[in-house]
Amino acid sequence: MFIFQIIDNFTNPAPGGIWPSSFTIEHWRFLWETPKTGESYIWTVTFNTFIFASTTAVMVTTLSMTSGYVLSRLDIPGRKIFLAGLIMLHAFPTISLIVAIFLTLQIMGLYNTLLGVILVKSALELPFGVWIMKGFYDTVPWEIEMAGIQDGASRFTVWRKLILPQVQPGIAALLIFSFLSGWSEFVLPLVLAPSSDVQVLSTYLSALILDDNKFDFNLFKSVGTFYAIPVIIIYIVFQKKLMNIYGGGTKG
Amino acid sequence: MNRINWFGLIFISPVLLMVFLFFLTPVVMTAFFSFTNMSTSTGIKGGEYLINQETIKEIKKYNIQKGTIEKLENAGYLIDEEGLKIVSKKYKEALSNEINSLYFGEKFSNRKDLERALKKLKKNKIKKTRDRKEIAEIFKESIINERFNSKSIFEENLIKLEIDQNDRDIIIKESYTGWSWTNNNFKLIYSLPSSYKFAFYTVIYVFFTLTFNVVFGLFLAISTFYLPSKTASTFRTIWFLPRILPPVLYVLMWKWFTWDTGFISQMSTYFGASPKNWMMDSPIHAWTVIVLINGFVGASFGMILFSSAIKAIPSSMLYASEVDGANRWQQIWNIIIPQLRWPIMFTTAYQTLSLLTSFEYILLATNGGPGRSTEVWALAAYHTALQNYAGNLQYGLGATYALVLVIIGIIASLFYLKFFNFKDLVTKPRIEG
Repeated sequence: MFIFQIIDNFTNPAPGGIWPSSFTIEHWRFLWETPKTGESYIWTVTFNTFIFASTTAVMVTTLSMTSGYVLSRLDIPGRKIFLAGLIMLHAFPTISLIVAIFLTLQIMGLYNTLLGVILVKSALELPFGVWIMKGFYDTVPWEIEMAGIQDGASRFTVWRKLILPQVQPGIAALLIFSFLSGWSEFVLPLVLAPSSDVQVLSTYLSALILDDNKFDFNLFKSVGTFYAIPVIIIYIVFQKKLMNIYGGGTKG
Repeated sequence: MNRINWFGLIFISPVLLMVFLFFLTPVVMTAFFSFTNMSTSTGIKGGEYLINQETIKEIKKYNIQKGTIEKLENAGYLIDEEGLKIVSKKYKEALSNEINSLYFGEKFSNRKDLERALKKLKKNKIKKTRDRKEIAEIFKESIINERFNSKSIFEENLIKLEIDQNDRDIIIKESYTGWSWTNNNFKLIYSLPSSYKFAFYTVIYVFFTLTFNVVFGLFLAISTFYLPSKTASTFRTIWFLPRILPPVLYVLMWKWFTWDTGFISQMSTYFGASPKNWMMDSPIHAWTVIVLINGFVGASFGMILFSSAIKAIPSSMLYASEVDGANRWQQIWNIIIPQLRWPIMFTTAYQTLSLLTSFEYILLATNGGPGRSTEVWALAAYHTALQNYAGNLQYGLGATYALVLVIIGIIASLFYLKFFNFKDLVTKPRIEG
């Protein structure tokens, strides 16, 4: 069973039946064919997905970069509460809030917009990001900062010139991680932005699967592979960096 | 000193804002919505006041005064602009003008009076009685099917109709189309047998998936520990794929794998079994697949945690045990497993919480089917509030389902906070100190 699962992973890209008999690119026609009315064009969808994932990633990373530093190094009022809240939010199952988020967005008028999904996704990802960045800041030795302050630099300069270069691996990892997580997100776009002009690849694929009119596993798999290629590439290239987060992030 | 604090606050405020807007607000909102009867038909903003035939049926059930319904249905006849326009369109403009000059703004309490008045017309006599009747009908005033935006305007109109206080209140209550406060959701969930079923399914789901996660994660961590490091890391990469792959795609693979023309069916036909859908064939099949789907994703999580914990075991302990003649099995059982107690506990706690509330994979794989046999609590919340076949989305009821999970989540994360070594986290920063 386990071996089959691996085989399953690897046979996916091969088009044409379980035992590939002939080579064809027919299943990849979705890439250049113009869609019928009511369907969305794959490149628009890909573009949406890219915008969604990258904006989320940049937002999460920048915001975590600043507030992670604050929580790690600065003595601000209510720091204890922030930290306690952070751990709680970190463990909190965000998906149970989906009903309320849906209604809140409707009231705010952000329902069915890409912006709404981006904001929600970033907010839900933030506790995790801040947590990770705080962890990275914690490993930077105090002496560096002390030296900077002694020499008369302001806290902001210290942070920008001395500390940020030290946590660069963390920033990179978080950026990649949140990009991947945005790229794979399914439930949020499904619920919060169902209309076809803000569709992302995950909802596009699932809509394709649910569409009874054209049931074609090979097509699904081709779209799926197209969808997964960036993920696999990013994963293989940045594997080491990402493992930092997957392993360390949840350990606290 | 002060400046530094400002700097810190500015740095942290965007996060606070975001978290507040999309994290804390939804928590409060879930509770808020769960006490309402919001649904697609009531809308989520305010409602209007509207009396239609349905409302009248409801009103009749109350103990109201005899004339009230008639007053609502028949509010007299008024010569007004709107009616005149219709008359000039349907009949003659001259007729409309004459009625206008003679009776504009006048009110008649019943049709006979109005008809009598219409008989008095001089220039444009209405010859047929039926026409007179019809023209009179045009000027009929009625509150039915008229929409009112605010309660006060609606009530004023009712007062004009001389409906007494008691009946007025009943009518106002029944004709409101928006949502209102209620605790029926809780009663409903408590009384529905299906909600116990959902809870039961959730327990099954969490229990089996968790067991699979931990046991299989352990197995992977220990077995890769004994492999040469290069092979081990390749294995780990492969086992990490389910976590890396987008859920939609990952589940798609499983669907293909278990489909009636899919992998298992094709394989089993070689052995003479008839092809079937291995996922949706029966609840048992569905549950097995769901546990496996979630299990593999979770196992990679356990694997990473456990392997880093195993690496942290001092190798002298392992060497010592080997010198003492322990075999692999004894080594695992007596040294590695006891050392892993803490990570195992952590994984269990963490995964329980996330499994309780996750429905993504189940939604994608079986969507709660076959029948509703894989409908866990979180999926039920989703289905009631956000997607169902009936089309009437019950936001309020769904929020109540979600509220149960939110409360569990809050309790569990408080517990978490205790679990963590919190003092370590709040060591004072040194520069200001």
